[in-house]
Amino acid sequence: MTEIMVRFHVNNHPTAVKTDPTRTLLSVLRDDLKLKGAKEACGQGDCGTCVVVMDGKAVNSCLILIAQVEGANVMTVEGLAEERELHPLQKHFIENWAFQCGYCTSGMLMSAYALLLNKPNPTRDEIRVAISGNLCRCTGYHEIMEAIEASAVDLQVQVRKNTGNT
Amino acid sequence: MHVLEYLAPQTLGEALETLAKQSEGAKIIAGGTDLIPRMRSGIIHPTLLIDLRKLSLNRIEFKGGWICIGATVTHTDILESNLLASHYPAMVEAVKEIAGPPIRNRGTIGGNLANASPAADLALPLLSYDAFVVLAKVGGERKVPLAEFFTGPGQTVLTPDEILTEIRIPVVPPRTISKFIKLGKRKAMAIAVTSIATRLTLDEAGNISQARIALGSVAPRPMRSTMAEAILENMTPGIELFAKSAQVASMESSPISDIRASGNYRKQMVAVLTRRSLLAAWQQLERRDR
Repeated sequence: MTEIMVRFHVNNHPTAVKTDPTRTLLSVLRDDLKLKGAKEACGQGDCGTCVVVMDGKAVNSCLILIAQVEGANVMTVEGLAEERELHPLQKHFIENWAFQCGYCTSGMLMSAYALLLNKPNPTRDEIRVAISGNLCRCTGYHEIMEAIEASAVDLQVQVRKNTGNT
Repeated sequence: MHVLEYLAPQTLGEALETLAKQSEGAKIIAGGTDLIPRMRSGIIHPTLLIDLRKLSLNRIEFKGGWICIGATVTHTDILESNLLASHYPAMVEAVKEIAGPPIRNRGTIGGNLANASPAADLALPLLSYDAFVVLAKVGGERKVPLAEFFTGPGQTVLTPDEILTEIRIPVVPPRTISKFIKLGKRKAMAIAVTSIATRLTLDEAGNISQARIALGSVAPRPMRSTMAEAILENMTPGIELFAKSAQVASMESSPISDIRASGNYRKQMVAVLTRRSLLAAWQQLERRDR
């Protein structure tokens, strides 16, 4: 297979990778860019451990060919924290004991991040739907829901502070 | 994966010409949610991938009495479409039950149909709305009723040089209601054990002028139960009539036993779900008319 040059943004950094176009986005993130947050478990889009946000939407990075990423903005779990300050989602996942083994966590965080991007004030049902493509075999989901809910409240407060609306 | 070439043509003409020249070993890709797992697990070995996502086949629009849905419209696009929600609610109900958001953000309506899974959730409401698919090749296109599109598991009437480009649905008559019900092992990320879409259109007198019953996961292909439909047409809607029609739908289905359920169980579920969905549709129509 002839290699092609694929240009895209990862966590707001311009990136260019010369590679086989039919490798998956997940494989390029992990093996070439050394971003190991997104994980491979099922490799067929069933489990959600590979979820990243691409152009504002949660996607399974194991089901995307790198050639299809040309020009896209990809956000991985590594892009959540700013200047060593954890993202509210990460803080609330810690505070709410929203993980045990941690294998699903990056995918959960990114599904939750995509939800809050599009729906800053989600209902419980919307949260449930947002993480319905992510499997967690430890927590039973309850703590994850609580963490996402708390983050939404936190982010709302931040938005109000930033815009001067109290 | 042993793909030799990946192409993302800019125009449909270019895509069709490439396919015509090199149809052997070529596969069409859009969302990739079905194709990529099959490639990765070695079930298929395409030598050329033609990506449709740059062809602007991602629109949902009114055109001359039809609602036209481009082949690369994603499940999420369908969920977010007010046009589809108001005209074809069973479509939106079906999409809500497809996988989870990451798959819905990538998977497309064209892929859902062209894969021809007997469990394709979107096929059922589309069958109930008498949808057509547009199949294009170099030099022209043909419009095929969806009911004639599927020929078996993974099999369609698509020829190797054709691409499914669009789904066209006639505007539904007034006094129409439709309902989709899916029975799966769990609510998300599950392939259907049995799924059903029904549509009822009533005439001025309140009798059923048109009935559609589409069954999923209970035959080699998504199918219409025309015998069960015939029982309903020109009749006054009612619980007993629905039960009779549901029994006939069950009879007409031919499910297999597999990892998800036994054929026998599926056959019984066809009756239960058909009756439930007819009843739900009828009750909605009554409420709306009140």
